[in-house]
Amino acid sequence: MRSRWTHLLLAVLLVGQLFLLAGQTPDRGGERSLLAGTTLRLLGPLARLVGAAGDAGTELSRALASRARLAEENRQLRAELIELRRERLRLGELELEAEALARGLGFERRSDWSLTPAEVVYLDRTSWLRTLIVWAGPGRARRDQPVVTELGLVGRVIATAGGYAKVQLLTDAAASAGALVERVRRQGIVRGAPGGGLTLELVPRQVPVEPGDRVVSAGIDGVYPRGIPIGTVVAVAPGDELFHRIVVEPAADLARLDFVYLLEQPAPPAELAGEGADGRR
Amino acid sequence: MGVARFLAGLLAAALLHFVGTRLFPAFPRATDLFLLVAVLEARRGHPVGGMLAGLAAGLAADGVTGGPYGLFGFADTAVAFGVATAARQLVVQRTTSLAGLFAAAAAAQQAIVAALALVFRPGAELAAPEWLLARVVSTALLGLAWTRSAELLLARVAARRAGREKKLGAPK
Repeated sequence: MRSRWTHLLLAVLLVGQLFLLAGQTPDRGGERSLLAGTTLRLLGPLARLVGAAGDAGTELSRALASRARLAEENRQLRAELIELRRERLRLGELELEAEALARGLGFERRSDWSLTPAEVVYLDRTSWLRTLIVWAGPGRARRDQPVVTELGLVGRVIATAGGYAKVQLLTDAAASAGALVERVRRQGIVRGAPGGGLTLELVPRQVPVEPGDRVVSAGIDGVYPRGIPIGTVVAVAPGDELFHRIVVEPAADLARLDFVYLLEQPAPPAELAGEGADGRR
Repeated sequence: MGVARFLAGLLAAALLHFVGTRLFPAFPRATDLFLLVAVLEARRGHPVGGMLAGLAAGLAADGVTGGPYGLFGFADTAVAFGVATAARQLVVQRTTSLAGLFAAAAAAQQAIVAALALVFRPGAELAAPEWLLARVVSTALLGLAWTRSAELLLARVAARRAGREKKLGAPK
């Protein structure tokens, strides 16, 4: 009798979890659920604690091991800072010039983005959903917010809980973004590929794409703004009858992420949003 | 006491998982500490306790890997129940049998996960065979090491206690 109840409980638990799995269809794989939110709140602080302890230990050992090297690095960084300040002045002048020309042509630019720094507390590139968990502070992250590093695009926020945000990496199999091959000005769709890479799809075979071409966001998916580096073309092969099969190496080093930036941009008008602008499968 | 010990084990597994992932990015591919905790609990021979331990450990594994929730939950529940049922009928003492038990649990878990992947996520990227092998071997070795260390520790504690009792009870 007792054995029957045990087997019944086992069946209930297993069937319950099958329903749970079935409820998480691939195209909604990253959406926030009560379970996902609670897990994020519970495990986020633990991962953050481990990360902080690891960083502190690494910093301390580095500082102890190489004071001389740090002094030299400091000197180099100061020199670089001076050079960058000069460069900024030059670029500032160029920007003024470009704005004056744009005004002359009557060209209206979109307002600038603002960046919110976020600390990476846990990076998991091994599970099906390639995700990372970041700490941005309470209320500072929102769903579908683009996430970038100084090198390029990382992904988008798919869930938030407390000050934590779960980010779907661009290399996730369910992620996609509108992309543009800079040299030939041709748009396509970048998707995550098995093994952690990226593929660029829907670029016709007559377009002369070559290894080394830079791929940037096209700003057509309603999630990622235009012009953020996505990666570099590393291989072009004839795909099916119409399109190339293009392999892209991500611009951002997704294996070494310590800090990322959440990109704040003005939302498109409500009446225009949602008309096919999605940025995900 | 048993529940507290299991929860402490689960917390330690999560902590070690984060530390391991931070130090070696491939760590979660090569080992599953949550399964280890579930199997250790299931070896006590209580099917209900075993399946609940498997459920908790599996959902924790789903949590740290970013989901989908229920994937490792399902696999670990089934595996832990199997181990607990087996542990009621078999006394596993030999080193090779013990290692075989942990290895079989890891292999069964991976088989169930792969089967669920085929059903629920047809396009999902399955683990490479070398990583599957690494998981099975590491689970067997870690399980064996933990069990033998615990036995050794308990034997020493018992010996010390017996020695103390003998000393206290000895006529002056």
